[in-house]
Amino acid sequence: MNELLYERALVWIILLPLIGAVLNGLLGRFADKNLVSALGVGSVAGSFFLALVCFAHLFTGMDAANEHGAQIAVTAYQWFHLSLPTFGGGVHEVGIDVRFLMDALSGLMTLVVTGVGLVIHVYSLGYMKEDPGYARFFAYLNLFLASMLILVLGSNLPVMFVGWEGVGLCSYLLIGFWYQTPAFAAAGKKAFIANRIGDFGVLIGMFILVSAAGSFEFADINSAAPSLTQPFFLGTWQMGTLATAAGLFLFLGCTGKSAQIPLYVWLPDAMAGPTPVSALIHAATMVTAGVYLTCRLSPVFMQSPVAMGVIAVIGASTALLAASIAVAQKEMKRILAYSTVSQLGFMFAAVGVGAFSAGFYQVFTHAFFKACLFLGAGSVMHAIGSHTDADIFRLGGLHKKMPKTSWTFLLAACSIAGVPLFAGFFSKDGILLGASELAYAPEPLSANWVGGFVLVALSLAATMTAFYMFRMYFLAFTGEYRSTGEEGAAHGAHDHHAYDPNPHESPDTMTWPLIILAAGAVSLGLLGLPTEWHLTNWWQGWMGHSIASVHAAAEGAEGAEESGLTIAYWTALASGVLAMAVGIGAAYKLYYNRADDRFRDAMPGRLYQLMADKWRVDELYQRVILGPLAGLATFVGWIDQTFVDMLLTRIPSKLALLSGFVATRIQNGRVYAYGAVMTVGLAVVSWFFVTPHPNLEGQAEGATAHFEAAAGMGYAYRWDFDSDGTWDAPTQGSEEGFGAERSPSHEYAFSALRGRVLLIAQPDGDDARVLVTEEPRPLPASLLPAGWMEDPTGDATLPSVRLEGTEIVLRRNSAVFSTPHGAIADEEVHLGIGDHVIVGRPETSRTDIAVRGLVEATVEVENAFGNRAHESLELVVNVPPERSEPAQARLTTATDEVLR
Amino acid sequence: MNSDHLLSLLLGVPALGAFVVFFMPRQWARALRLTSVGFMLAELGLSFSLSSADYTDGGYHFVEKVSWIETWGISYHLGVDGISLWLVLLTTLLTPIALFVSWTSITTKVKEYALSFLLLELAMLGAFISLDVFLFYVFWELMLVPMYFIIGVWGGPERVYAAVKFFIYTMVGSLLMLVAILYLVGAYHEASGHYSFDLLELRHLIIPRATQIWLFLAFILAFAIKVPMFPFHTWLPDAHTQAPTGGSVILAAVMLKLGTYGFLRFAMPLFPLASQLIGPTIALFAIIGIIYGAWAAWVQKDAKKLVAYSSVSHMGFIALGLFSMTNHGVNGSLLQMLNHGVSTGALFILVGVIYERRHTRLFSEFGGLAKVMPWYALFFVVVSLSSIGLPGTNGFVGEFMILVGTFTSNAEVGFGPWGRVFTLFAATGVIFAAVYMLHAVLEIFWGPITHKANETLKDLTFREVAALLPLMALIFWIGLYPATFLDRSEDAVNGFVQDFNAKYEASKSDDSLRLWGEPEAPADAPPADAVAQGDDAPSVAAAAAGGAR
Repeated sequence: MNELLYERALVWIILLPLIGAVLNGLLGRFADKNLVSALGVGSVAGSFFLALVCFAHLFTGMDAANEHGAQIAVTAYQWFHLSLPTFGGGVHEVGIDVRFLMDALSGLMTLVVTGVGLVIHVYSLGYMKEDPGYARFFAYLNLFLASMLILVLGSNLPVMFVGWEGVGLCSYLLIGFWYQTPAFAAAGKKAFIANRIGDFGVLIGMFILVSAAGSFEFADINSAAPSLTQPFFLGTWQMGTLATAAGLFLFLGCTGKSAQIPLYVWLPDAMAGPTPVSALIHAATMVTAGVYLTCRLSPVFMQSPVAMGVIAVIGASTALLAASIAVAQKEMKRILAYSTVSQLGFMFAAVGVGAFSAGFYQVFTHAFFKACLFLGAGSVMHAIGSHTDADIFRLGGLHKKMPKTSWTFLLAACSIAGVPLFAGFFSKDGILLGASELAYAPEPLSANWVGGFVLVALSLAATMTAFYMFRMYFLAFTGEYRSTGEEGAAHGAHDHHAYDPNPHESPDTMTWPLIILAAGAVSLGLLGLPTEWHLTNWWQGWMGHSIASVHAAAEGAEGAEESGLTIAYWTALASGVLAMAVGIGAAYKLYYNRADDRFRDAMPGRLYQLMADKWRVDELYQRVILGPLAGLATFVGWIDQTFVDMLLTRIPSKLALLSGFVATRIQNGRVYAYGAVMTVGLAVVSWFFVTPHPNLEGQAEGATAHFEAAAGMGYAYRWDFDSDGTWDAPTQGSEEGFGAERSPSHEYAFSALRGRVLLIAQPDGDDARVLVTEEPRPLPASLLPAGWMEDPTGDATLPSVRLEGTEIVLRRNSAVFSTPHGAIADEEVHLGIGDHVIVGRPETSRTDIAVRGLVEATVEVENAFGNRAHESLELVVNVPPERSEPAQARLTTATDEVLR
Repeated sequence: MNSDHLLSLLLGVPALGAFVVFFMPRQWARALRLTSVGFMLAELGLSFSLSSADYTDGGYHFVEKVSWIETWGISYHLGVDGISLWLVLLTTLLTPIALFVSWTSITTKVKEYALSFLLLELAMLGAFISLDVFLFYVFWELMLVPMYFIIGVWGGPERVYAAVKFFIYTMVGSLLMLVAILYLVGAYHEASGHYSFDLLELRHLIIPRATQIWLFLAFILAFAIKVPMFPFHTWLPDAHTQAPTGGSVILAAVMLKLGTYGFLRFAMPLFPLASQLIGPTIALFAIIGIIYGAWAAWVQKDAKKLVAYSSVSHMGFIALGLFSMTNHGVNGSLLQMLNHGVSTGALFILVGVIYERRHTRLFSEFGGLAKVMPWYALFFVVVSLSSIGLPGTNGFVGEFMILVGTFTSNAEVGFGPWGRVFTLFAATGVIFAAVYMLHAVLEIFWGPITHKANETLKDLTFREVAALLPLMALIFWIGLYPATFLDRSEDAVNGFVQDFNAKYEASKSDDSLRLWGEPEAPADAPPADAVAQGDDAPSVAAAAAGGAR
C-alpha cells in the first residue's frame, strides 16, 4: 500500500463514526434496532481496524524514519486563515488547515480511543438494550468517538479545539441522556459550563502561541518553543514569559476537561450518564485529553518552570483531595468518579515533574483498568436492576453470584492499587520516579520541593487508592448479599429503588468486554518495564518520537548516562509498594467479609462527614462564585429595566412631554390667534420664496477671487466682477447675461482695482483696513503698536497716507518704519500693491502693514418668479502692478526684491 | 437581463411587488401571501447573480450612477463590494423566510403586512447598496416606517409603546447623523469647491481632528443605537418581545447589521483620526455589552427577551472586531454579522414556533418538550450551539477570528497595548453564552413535562422545517467551509484596512481640511452610455483639481 491509501484511511477513521452518528441520529428513530446496532458498532469496528492498519504502518516505519519518527499526515482543505501583522508592517498569513496527523503519540491514543471505544460499544449493546433512546445513545456515542478522534488526530490547535469542544458537547448530551430527570440534565449543563471555562483558557493560550510562533501547527509551535522565554505583556504589565502565560492558560483548559482543581467538580456529577458513558468518556478517553494536550505541547511547557511547578502541585493536590473524598463515599460509580479525578491528578503530577512519557503511560493503563472497573460497576448495577448507582453497603457476596464480573473487577483493582507486576504498578512507579528524581535533581527543572511535595502527596493518595478500591471490592463482592428487595425504602436516601434480591451474571456482550479490559489491565505493564533493571522500556523509546523529555535534555547535557538503581529509584519504588501494601492491608482488616463501615467508626465523626460531603467544595463554589454571579446577573437584569432604561428613555421622554406641555400653552384654542400666527408665518415663508437671496460670499487668493452665491429654487445668476455696471461674461444663449454659474472664480487685473487699502495686522490675528484716498489721512493710533513713535518723549505726529496716481505715498512723520533689512530713513515712501512695511521699533512692538487692492463684485439673482435681487461684495486682492512699471519709482530703499 | 442595471432591478422587484400587492383585494389572503413570497423568492434568485462578479479586486461592482439633485451633488449611486454582498444576500434570504413563518400566525390585515415586508426589503437593500450618503440616509429612514407598523399593528399587547420607543430612539440618532452628513458635505465643498454626497468622493476628505470627533460621534450614535450597543440597547428587548415573529427575525437578522455596517462603511473610513481615538472606548462599551448582555439574558423569564439580550452580547463581538483594525478581526466581524443573522434569525423563528402553539414564551410554562417535539429540540439545540459558537458551526469561525483579531491588534492603529486585555474580558462572553443558552435549553426541553397543555404539542410542521432548513445548512456550511464567504469579502476588507491606515497616517501628519489621495474610478465602470448620463455630475478630476489650491 502506498502513502495515499494510509492518508485516506486516516480520514476514514474519523468519518466512519461521524457517518454512524449522523445516520443514527437522524434516522435511527425509525430504523430497526439491529440496524442501529450494526451501524453504531460496525462504524467503530471499521474505525478501529483502520487505526490498527495505520498504526502498523507507523510501527514498521518508525525506526527508519527521521528524528520525529514516521507519521501519516493528510490535509483536507484550508478552513480559514489569519493575516498576522509583522514587525515590518507586512502581513504574515497563518493558514488554519483541516489537517490530521498520526504520529507516535496520536497513533497510540487513536488505538486506545477506538479500541476501548469498540469494547464499550459492544458492552452497550447489552447494557442499553431496553432503553427507548437506543438509537439516540449510539448516535451520541459515535459522535463522541468522532470528536475524540478529531481531538487526537488534529495536527493544529484549532482543529484539536473542534474535537475538544465536540467531546464536551457529547459529554453534555450523554450526561443528560435521561433528560427527564432534572438533576441529570443539570449535571450535563454543569459539565458543559465547567468545560467552557476551561475552553476559555485554551482559546487564550492558543492566541498567545499563535502570536508568538506565527502558526497553529503543533510541530511549528514546538520548534518555536525556545523563543517562548520572551516576556509576555498584558496591557503594559509584564506577566511572566510567553511560555508561562500560554502554559497556564492551556492548563486552565486542562483543569476543565481533565477535572483538576479548581474545575473538577463536574466530573463526579457526570456519573449521572449511562455507565458505558462514564467508562468511555469520563474515565478512559475524554478526561485524559488534557494530559494529551500537555504532552503534545511538551516543549512549550518545558520552557516554563513556573507552569510546570503549578501543574505538578495542582495535579498532586487533586490526586490527594479526590482520593480523600473517595474513601468516604458509598456508591460504586461515585467512588470510581473520584478515583478518576485522583488518577488524572497523578497524570498531571507526572507531567508537571517533567515525566511526560510516564504521565501518558498512566493515561494508557488507566484507560484499561478504569474502564474495566466502571463496566464492572455497570454490570453490578445491571444485575441489581439499578439505573443510578449501587450502594456498596447494600451489596455483598456478589463474588459467588457473578464470578466473571468479580474476577475482572479484582484484577483491575489490583492494577489501580499498584500490586507489583500489574500494569498500574509500572505506570505509577514511573510517575513516582519522576517526582523522586525531581526531588533529588541537582539542577531541577522547577524546584526540588515540588518533587518532594509531589512524591509525598502521591504516596498518600496511592495509599488511599489501594484502600478505597479494596474497601469497595470487599464490601461489594465478599461476605453475604445484603439486599432482600424490601429494605429499599428504608435506605431510600440515595436510591429509591429496591435492589433485585437475586442478582445474576450479566450477558456475554457485557462480560467479554470486561475480560478484554482486565487482560489489558494486567498485562500492559510489559510495555513500560523499568530500565533500572536493564529491561527494555518500549514505551519510553516509542514516546521519545513525539514527546520531549527531561531525560533527553539531561542526557544532552551530561552525556548519555545509563540510569541505574539510584536512590531516587529506590525511594519511588519503596513508597509505591508501601502505599499499596498499607492500603490493601487496612481495607482487608476493616472490610473483608464485613458489612459495616468500620473506617467511619474509626475516624473522628466531623472529619469523616466532611470527607463524605466532598469537603463541601460544591457548596463553597455556590456561595463564593455561582451565588454572587447569579445575583449580579439578576441585578443587571433589574438595573437594565429600571436605571438604564430610565436614564435613556423615560427621562428624555418626560422632558419632551414637559416641553410639549409648555408649547400647549400657546395653543389656547382661539381661532383668531391661530389665524394671526398663520398669516404672519405664511407671509414670512412667501417673502422668502418670492424674493431671491443672493447671499454673496467670496474669498480671494492672490489675484484670484472665488465667489459663491446661494442656491435656490430656479435661481439664475449674472455677474459683474468689477462692479462697473456692465454684466460680465454673459452665458451663451441666456438673456441679459443670466446663467447657471453659481460659484465662479475671477482673476482680477490691475486695472480693475477700485481702490487701495492698507492692511494693518492686529494682535487678535485679524487685519484692520485703512482705505487710501487722494486726501491724506492719518493712520489711527489705535491700530498702531504702542511703540510706533521714533521718539517716545517728543511730540508725535501720526503717519499719514494718500493716493498719488496708482501709487500710495506713506508719510512717516514721527513714526518709525522699517523693512526686514533695516529702518527707512525717507520721509515719504512710495508703495505698490503687494508691498509691505513694518511700523514700530523692532526691539519692542511692531506691526506689519501690507498694501492691497480693493475690488467690488456684484451678482444679480433671478428666481423662478422672475424677481431679481443683487448684492455687492468688496474683496481685498493682491494684484501686483504690471511688470513694465519701474520698481524704483515706488520705494527708494535698496530692499526692493525683498519687499516684492 | 442587463447586468448593468442589476442593482436597480434588485430594488425594482420589491417595489413592483409592493405595487402589485397594493392593488390586490384585501380578502385574498392566500393570494396576497403567495404573491409577496413569490416576489421575494424572485428577488432571492436575482440576488444570487450578484455573486457572479469577481470580488477579489476589493472594488465595487454593478455600479450605477445617475445624477439626481445636481446642485447638491446628490446622485443615485449604487454598488456592491465584498462587504455588502453577503449582507444583501442575507436580506434577500431572510425576508421571504420571515414572511413564510408568519404564514398562519398573521391573519388580520394580511395585505398591509405583506406590503410592509416588501417595502422593508426594499429599504434594507437600498441602504446596503447605496454609495451616496444622501441616498443611504433616505433608505435608512425609510426602513423605520414599515418596521414601525409591523411592531405597532401586528405586535403583542404592549406593541404601541414598543413601536414608538423603537421609532423615536432610532430617529434621534438618525437626526444627529443627518446634521453630521450635512456638515460633512459642507466641509467637502469648502475643500473641493463643489458639493457632493458621493461616498467615494467624500472618503477622500481629511477633516481637522476636533471636527472629526464631533462628526464621528454623531454618526456613531446613530449606528450604536441601531446595533444596539450598551447603553443604547433598551429599545431592543421591548421591540423584540412585542414584534411578531417575522418582524423579530428581520429586526435581529438584518436591521441590526445596518448599525455595524454603518461603522464599517461610513463612520470609520470617513473619520479615521476620530475612529482611532475613540475606537478603544467603543471597544470597551462593546465588551461591557458582551458581558452585560449575557448576564441580562441569563435572568430573563421570557424566551424572546433572552434571545434579544443575547443579540446585545453578540453584536458587541462584532463591534469589537471592527475596531481591532486587523484584517482577520474585521473580516471575522463581517462573517459574524452573517452568522448572527442566521443564528438569531433561526432562534426567533424557533421561539415563534412555541409561541404560536402555546401563546406564551415564559420558561416556566415549558419543560420536557424534547419528549413531544424531538425535531424541534434537535433544531433548537443545533441553533443554540451555533449561537454559543461551538466549533464546526458558523459562530465559532466568526468569534475566533474576532478574538484573534483583538488579541493581535497591537499596532498604533487598533487597540495598542490593550488588545490582549480586551480579549481576556471579551472571551469570557464565550462562557456566559453557554450559561444562558444552555439555561434556555434546559428550561424548555429537559426535565419532565410539567404542563398538561404541552403533552399534545405538535412537532415542527413541514412549512416550519422548510423555513429553517436553509438556515441550518448555512450554520454548518459557514462553520465547516467558511472560505466561500470569507474569500469574497476578504479583499474588500483588506482594502478597507489598508485605506484606513493610509488615511490615518495622512491625517495624523496634517489634519487640515483638504482632499487626500486620488479619487479612483469604480472597479468595473459602467459602459459608455451610462457614463454619459453621469457626466453632468461634478467630475472626479475637477474635485481633485479644486482641492489642490
